[in-house]
Amino acid sequence: MATYIGRRFVLLPLVAFGVTLLIFALLQFLAPEMRAAAFITNPNQLNALPAIIEKYGLNKPIHIQYYNWLREVFRGNLGWSQTARQPVAQAIGAFFPATLELTLYSFIPIMIIGVWMGTAAAVNRDKLIDHVSRVFSISFRSLPSFVWGLLILMILYGRLNWFPPGRLSLEGDLFVRSGEFRFYTHLMTVDALLNGKLWLFWDSLRHLMGPVLTLTMISIALLVRVTRSSMLEVLRQDYVRTARAKGLDEDVVINVHARKNALIPVITLSSLTFVGLLGGVVITETIFNFPGIGRWGAFAAQQLDIPGVTGFAMFVAGLTVLGNLAADILYAYFDPRVRLQ
Amino acid sequence: MNWRQRVMALVVLILAFSLVGLTGIAQGQAVKNPDTLVLVRFGDPESLDPAYAYDTASSEIFLWHVYESLIFFNGGSTGSFVPMLATEVPSVANGGISRDGKTYTFKIRPNVKFHDGTTMTAEDVKYSLLRFMFMDRDGGPSWILLAPILGADVTRDDKGALNTALFTQANNAIKASGNTLSITLKEPYAAFLSIMAQWSMTVNKKWAISRGDWNGTAAGLAALNNPAKPEDTKLFAQGNGTGPFKLVQWDRQGRQVILERNTNYWRAPAKLNRVIYRVVEDFGPRRLMLQQGDADIVSVNRPEQSQVTGVPGVRIVDNLPQLVVTGIYMNLKIDVAGGNPDVGSGRLDGNGVPPDFFADVNVRRGVAYAFDYATAIRDCNRSAAAVNKGPIPQGMFGYNPNQAWFTTDRTRAEAAFREARGGQIWNSGFKFTVAFNSGNTTRQCMAQVLKSNLEALNPKFKVDVRGVTWAQYLSLYRQSKLAMWIIGWAADYPDPDNFVTPFMHSTGTYAKAQGYNRPEVDKLIQDARNETDTAKRRAIYYNLMKIAYEDPITLYLQPTGFITMRTWVRGWYNNPAFFGPYVYPISKSGG
Repeated sequence: MATYIGRRFVLLPLVAFGVTLLIFALLQFLAPEMRAAAFITNPNQLNALPAIIEKYGLNKPIHIQYYNWLREVFRGNLGWSQTARQPVAQAIGAFFPATLELTLYSFIPIMIIGVWMGTAAAVNRDKLIDHVSRVFSISFRSLPSFVWGLLILMILYGRLNWFPPGRLSLEGDLFVRSGEFRFYTHLMTVDALLNGKLWLFWDSLRHLMGPVLTLTMISIALLVRVTRSSMLEVLRQDYVRTARAKGLDEDVVINVHARKNALIPVITLSSLTFVGLLGGVVITETIFNFPGIGRWGAFAAQQLDIPGVTGFAMFVAGLTVLGNLAADILYAYFDPRVRLQ
Repeated sequence: MNWRQRVMALVVLILAFSLVGLTGIAQGQAVKNPDTLVLVRFGDPESLDPAYAYDTASSEIFLWHVYESLIFFNGGSTGSFVPMLATEVPSVANGGISRDGKTYTFKIRPNVKFHDGTTMTAEDVKYSLLRFMFMDRDGGPSWILLAPILGADVTRDDKGALNTALFTQANNAIKASGNTLSITLKEPYAAFLSIMAQWSMTVNKKWAISRGDWNGTAAGLAALNNPAKPEDTKLFAQGNGTGPFKLVQWDRQGRQVILERNTNYWRAPAKLNRVIYRVVEDFGPRRLMLQQGDADIVSVNRPEQSQVTGVPGVRIVDNLPQLVVTGIYMNLKIDVAGGNPDVGSGRLDGNGVPPDFFADVNVRRGVAYAFDYATAIRDCNRSAAAVNKGPIPQGMFGYNPNQAWFTTDRTRAEAAFREARGGQIWNSGFKFTVAFNSGNTTRQCMAQVLKSNLEALNPKFKVDVRGVTWAQYLSLYRQSKLAMWIIGWAADYPDPDNFVTPFMHSTGTYAKAQGYNRPEVDKLIQDARNETDTAKRRAIYYNLMKIAYEDPITLYLQPTGFITMRTWVRGWYNNPAFFGPYVYPISKSGG
């Protein structure tokens, strides 16, 4: 197991290298004048394009540009992000905690409700709960996230003023900057509690609710369907019938014998969901004006901010490798056959 | 009804009820955050360094809020000035402008304190001007002072090496002694007072040096000149000026800038305690924040205007004059090297146009007469634009309201096209592409209108309309690849020179890309720049507008602006030269 994990870690820099090389090469297909657009904010600056291309070496051969970039990376410098107005490493560090917080708050209801609904639907196949879960999950999934996001924003903020966009209210935001507040984890809800400010905790929670609700609604459907079908598959197995035959309590049969085995595909799916959420949920973050990493990554790509996009891609690639690793470890826990291989 | 239909009906009902509920909006809100003004927009500043920033999203934050200029615009006027950090506006009459029009003398206002409590002096102003000129980043604003004071547009030679002789020259041209600052220009420069009203932002010399900024000597110039990144300048995210607000923080992650009232301001302190510039990219939440009173002033684009109209507690001030001109440009020398999809076959065979298609003035006149201005203004600009007779915006000095100009006239359009190239164009037809930057629906609509106008003249006339991403757009038009395109120009300072140069000078941003090169036009522009006699100068600009009509290369429209704010925002006023709302006179009260 240890070598297995170790091998995965060795893979990490290789994946990051491959991904950045790919992104770098793709971006180099664009003319230098296009890439220089990241430095232009005002048409009145256009006469300076050739000087900008010269200054940033945008017309040098691709391998030289990549080499220069890589050399800086090894010095710990990921470059300057023109879109975040700060160094790339600092930008990732600044944007990631918000996304992490959003992910944690969304992932818990996604998992609990998703697995519970899927199991319930399978156990009560073709009964009311099965139909209800199907209707809900399909209707949640059938509208795109920006529609749900805007609906939630319009109703729960525009109409009821419960869940405002952003990360904090004006009062909360000013308090956090006042010097009385100490950052520990940069997760706002956690830091609010560690500072003993309950009102701030509620404030940040209120701001999290809109995006969390949106993400839960759109992510839950797949999990419900996968859990249900996997569960149905397992419930047909001989050992489940045996367990029932020997008179075990139905709860024990379902929760201990069946569900643990049914969870294997669910783990794959949920690890992908988790990594997907961590890598940023562009549309939801944009609609709720939530200062997360996905919104920045997408913006950097639109603006051809090469250091920004490459740094972001490297980061997400790293997350994906780690996410898969976590999934593998969980497989080994749930399925002893994996451990024995 | 079976259970499936019942569940679906339930879901539909829930949604319907929620939506019905949306139409009602809380009325009679009390003023939210009465001493804080929240401005919500969709663009981040690039830098808060006054010598680096060259975009409105940056400048609107610090200009006259954190940093102040020697003189200021008088109310809504762009041509008359009031003193600010100087005690009077220099004129020939008061001896502030020398007889030869080259030397400007400013008496510096005594006892003006910087935000750190130190007193502002003429030396600070000199330092700030030199710092502005010699930062000179590629694509930056430094040329605005370099051109009038030194007669040069850049501080570096062709190889990028700093020209230190220019610094000696500038150091001699700008003199600070006691409470007096004098600036001697290379040549008389008629727009100089307009420039001083915006680009003489004064920073605190001692404080800046203590923060590791330029030390004020020639030896320190290398570190100041042409910084590689915006963060490389010391005033990127911190500042110390004389203005009514202090810069507290630029939170790049939270995407907001916070300003706080300067209680030791030299005039009465501002009425607001705090100003927050916040970025919310998506229009939906921006609109809801305005409706809920969480935002006081929000950026709204024309196509979204109807969505903020009629919202209780929201005021829209429309038809604001702006110093912006939008052009439809015709390229006289289209670059077709390596193939160019925008010119079709590249020949006059009915399926393309040759590179010099627009070089024939009759073709350009034909286009100018064919374009349906009324439709373009009504449908594409929601009637918030007007035809402009040449590059100088209406209402600005030098604009000739009596200049003859093109009106939509199919007969004349047809006549012009029949005359072009001895009838060859009329007989064989053509095909070319009009480009716009994708996402800009106003420009897209104008391109469509032009297409239908031209195609209606002759069935052999074909026009394509193509959206191009912003980055590619800039690149293509600069390389003269686009046959025809649409883009705007906003004033750097309110003076006709800043419009005739980009639109008509052979080295100007747009004229150059269009391959327009008339030495007599270049000379007229230079003459007008150096002419201090108002009447003579006006005559030159009238002459240039006449040329813009007789030899048209661009069709001009002047869009007007609008601002959307809560009704509780009081004291706001517009000046076309402002980059954003001037917050000092603003307060919040009532509702």
